[in-house]
Amino acid sequence: MDVKLRIHRFVEDKKWVQDYTLPVTVGMTVLEALTQIKEHQDPTLSFTCSCRSSICGACAVRVNGNAELACEILVENLMKRYDTDELTIEPLGNFRVIRDLIVDWDPKYARIKKIKPTVHPKAEFSAEEGCKQSPEEFNKFKKLAGCILCGSCVSECNKNSWNQDDFLDPFVFVKAAKITRDSRDKDPKEHLKAVVDAGLWRCFNCQECTAKCPKGLDPAGAIEKLKEATFKMGLDDNVGARHAKAIYDDISDSGTLDESKLNIKSEGFFAAGLRAPMALRLMRVGKMNPLDKHPVNKEIDTIRKIVKNAEAASKEEN
Amino acid sequence: MSKEISRRTFIKGAAAAGVVVAAGSYFTWNGNNIPEKVKKGDITYDVLIIGSGGAGMRAALAAAENKNLKVAVMTKLVPTRSASTMAQGGMNGVTGVSDPTDTVESHVFDTIKGGDYLCDQDAVEYFAERAGANIYEMDYMGYPYNRQKDGCFHQRKMGGHSHPRASYFEDRAGHAMVHTLFEQCLENGIDFISECQMLEISMSGEKNDQLNGVIAMDMRSGNLIGVPAKSVIIATGGYGRVYWIRTSNPYSSTGDGIVAGMNVGIPFKDPEMVQFHPTGLSANGVLLSESSRAEGAQLKNKNGERFMEKYAPEKKELATRDIVARAIATEIEQGRGVGEGIHAGVYMDFTVIPAERIRERLGQVADLSKRFAGVDITKEPVLIAPTCHYSMGGLEMADFHTGESRVPGIYVAGECSCVSVHGANRLGANSLSEVLVFGHTAGDGAAAYAKEHNYAGSQDKLAQDCQKWKDRFEEVTSRPEGCGKTVPEIRDAMVNTMWYKAGVYRQEDQLNQATQELKALEEEYKHCYVGDSSHVYNTAFEQYIELGNLLQISHAIVQGALARKESRGGHSRRDFPKRDDKNFLKHTLIFKDQKTGEYRAEYKDVVITKYQPKERKY
Repeated sequence: MDVKLRIHRFVEDKKWVQDYTLPVTVGMTVLEALTQIKEHQDPTLSFTCSCRSSICGACAVRVNGNAELACEILVENLMKRYDTDELTIEPLGNFRVIRDLIVDWDPKYARIKKIKPTVHPKAEFSAEEGCKQSPEEFNKFKKLAGCILCGSCVSECNKNSWNQDDFLDPFVFVKAAKITRDSRDKDPKEHLKAVVDAGLWRCFNCQECTAKCPKGLDPAGAIEKLKEATFKMGLDDNVGARHAKAIYDDISDSGTLDESKLNIKSEGFFAAGLRAPMALRLMRVGKMNPLDKHPVNKEIDTIRKIVKNAEAASKEEN
Repeated sequence: MSKEISRRTFIKGAAAAGVVVAAGSYFTWNGNNIPEKVKKGDITYDVLIIGSGGAGMRAALAAAENKNLKVAVMTKLVPTRSASTMAQGGMNGVTGVSDPTDTVESHVFDTIKGGDYLCDQDAVEYFAERAGANIYEMDYMGYPYNRQKDGCFHQRKMGGHSHPRASYFEDRAGHAMVHTLFEQCLENGIDFISECQMLEISMSGEKNDQLNGVIAMDMRSGNLIGVPAKSVIIATGGYGRVYWIRTSNPYSSTGDGIVAGMNVGIPFKDPEMVQFHPTGLSANGVLLSESSRAEGAQLKNKNGERFMEKYAPEKKELATRDIVARAIATEIEQGRGVGEGIHAGVYMDFTVIPAERIRERLGQVADLSKRFAGVDITKEPVLIAPTCHYSMGGLEMADFHTGESRVPGIYVAGECSCVSVHGANRLGANSLSEVLVFGHTAGDGAAAYAKEHNYAGSQDKLAQDCQKWKDRFEEVTSRPEGCGKTVPEIRDAMVNTMWYKAGVYRQEDQLNQATQELKALEEEYKHCYVGDSSHVYNTAFEQYIELGNLLQISHAIVQGALARKESRGGHSRRDFPKRDDKNFLKHTLIFKDQKTGEYRAEYKDVVITKYQPKERKY
């Protein structure tokens, strides 16, 4: 059985798609296939790799539009998944491409720096005697410590595709969540403030990062946890937090959203005023009427129960 | 179409539309893999570290504690892709938190015994005394240790140790260490010179002992850069890739730093000491954990015989790594293996273990076997063979109190160095503690040197060396197809030589043949075909450089193995099966003649303090 790999090439400003065909063998990963092409068909094909056991993060690429670690994903399984003998391989999305499948990590490190990426230990701890932490406290962040910086999470991140300047990469949020949940840190607020300033509330909540993480870390969940933490730390004086709170209040009170007030509550009276033209348009077509009494959902008791259970579940998790 | 998909499609569409609107700003990047001042050539580093694994980054942090010093880490990939990330077990250090009866003496003795008495005992004492402190320090840096009830990190017992003393993060101890150090480096503003392949350490002066700096190729631009430095720390890792797919090491473990060091007169100490792990997947060398055998998996040859009964009647599969590795190699050699050539192996049979327990305790092993060999180990056996796991040998560290080599200004640390703490065989979880202890030491040592010395190198010579490599790049990459063998062809031939003639077993006639074959390969290497002439991220050229290094490393291994007429630790001579303390309680030092390129062996006595050599029994 043969596979045709359609590889997106990019060398010195020249871009093209090149097809390579090779036989599929047992246990052949995408990385193995790329290596065989480089060694037997085309030495100019370029990619990076190091550990080939899914822990160093060097070989992530996009296959048929989805980020994968090349060293762990089998060509055979991909052919089955997409029901095809043709796979398209591209560099990761939302990275600048240097050559072929090799991307530029440097700007990403600059973004990690923004969140002050280390634990700043409490005063009672020292370099000589280390720190103390209960197993339960360790459990709160251990999963997040498994990030390998492969970049899969940001490849299909829709917020990053839209605009990278006012947001971070999902793996940066994972790092921030790890540190703020680490009981050794003396001031999680310091990291949280940096995260809020860097665009925490701009996440589209599309879950692409969580779907793509090869280590199952749930970056989208980490972002939600960071948002929760901002409330606890009193860092909730911003549009995103106020918007979330307004929705929460509406749902708990009436089970329905009061669109006419939501905007005012989130952005403040004056900023919301700038949206008057849109409000007028909505009113004209009958989508919003500020004079109507805000309706209450008939199932309000059930809704309140759901809210309560969700709160309890979230408490348990934390 | 399900709702999830339509939501995804909707958001994708909206985001794509946004990209079109914001197209102008989409590709504005300020990133840079090399600091501007390096590009412009207006910085001389006080301490320049080559390699961004555990040792390199630990050294950088130590050196950078001196706020006035200019410190940088150069790496051929980007940081966090190193061999250190692959370490699983933990890092040893006597702290007594999990076992109050543990002592430094015990750690010292376990290490020396494990190393088959080829360790320098004073160095091991220095190492064991400091290993505990480094574990506490990592805690303070934010290492995510698994904890015990009293809030301290938990320590577990590794093979060959008499007490639990390895602290860890799950089964990813190295990964957590590298990321903790990297975060510290980022926050402390350490300069990274990323994606630069080191080519040479540039020296000048009458005796060629004056350090100018380091010549490297910026992979992104193809530019050759000369980075002036007062001191250099070589921390480039091991050389397992001389056995190519028969190693558990990453692709980057090609001994670059060792060769650069040999070329400026630092001896390669104990190169023949290579550790083979018995159970790598025969398909690709990836390690199947030691826990497989611990849980009861049986080794069988092609006739279905449980051959370990013959080699270790009592312990069988539970015998030590070296014994099992040698047994497997013997079975294959005598025609009782399965499969051909470098992929030949024997069966590891898990079907004797209840499927339930396999799922519970050997999940990772089951997963790797399924993925890479297509085998469900609850139903059928998987093919395994020995795989090179660790390089005990390395550049000689002349003084373990400072990390310096015998060349002034050049320091060594980590797997590329030989202290010697591991002797002829490294114990589990001693490698991560070694990189912490000696990374720290070398960082302090190089910083002290830089403070006491002015830069006395020759920038002219640095520029000349750059030009030399530039010319070489142009010559090598412009060779026409058909000018000679390709880089992978020569590499495969080298691996065949090394695996069969200087692998698990060695003997004189085969080692002599290996020398001849390597010489022939070096000739072929001189006019090999690289096949890529681009200046942008030319990985074909990088692999050409790495192959050149591996060939030199191979020579040194063979030379060392030939001269050591005994069997000790990782080095097994068929013609000299016993350890010979009378003649070989010595370190091999392989020097490369800087003019002729010939290799020459010298010897240096092992340092014995308290522990006289005894037979190694477990």
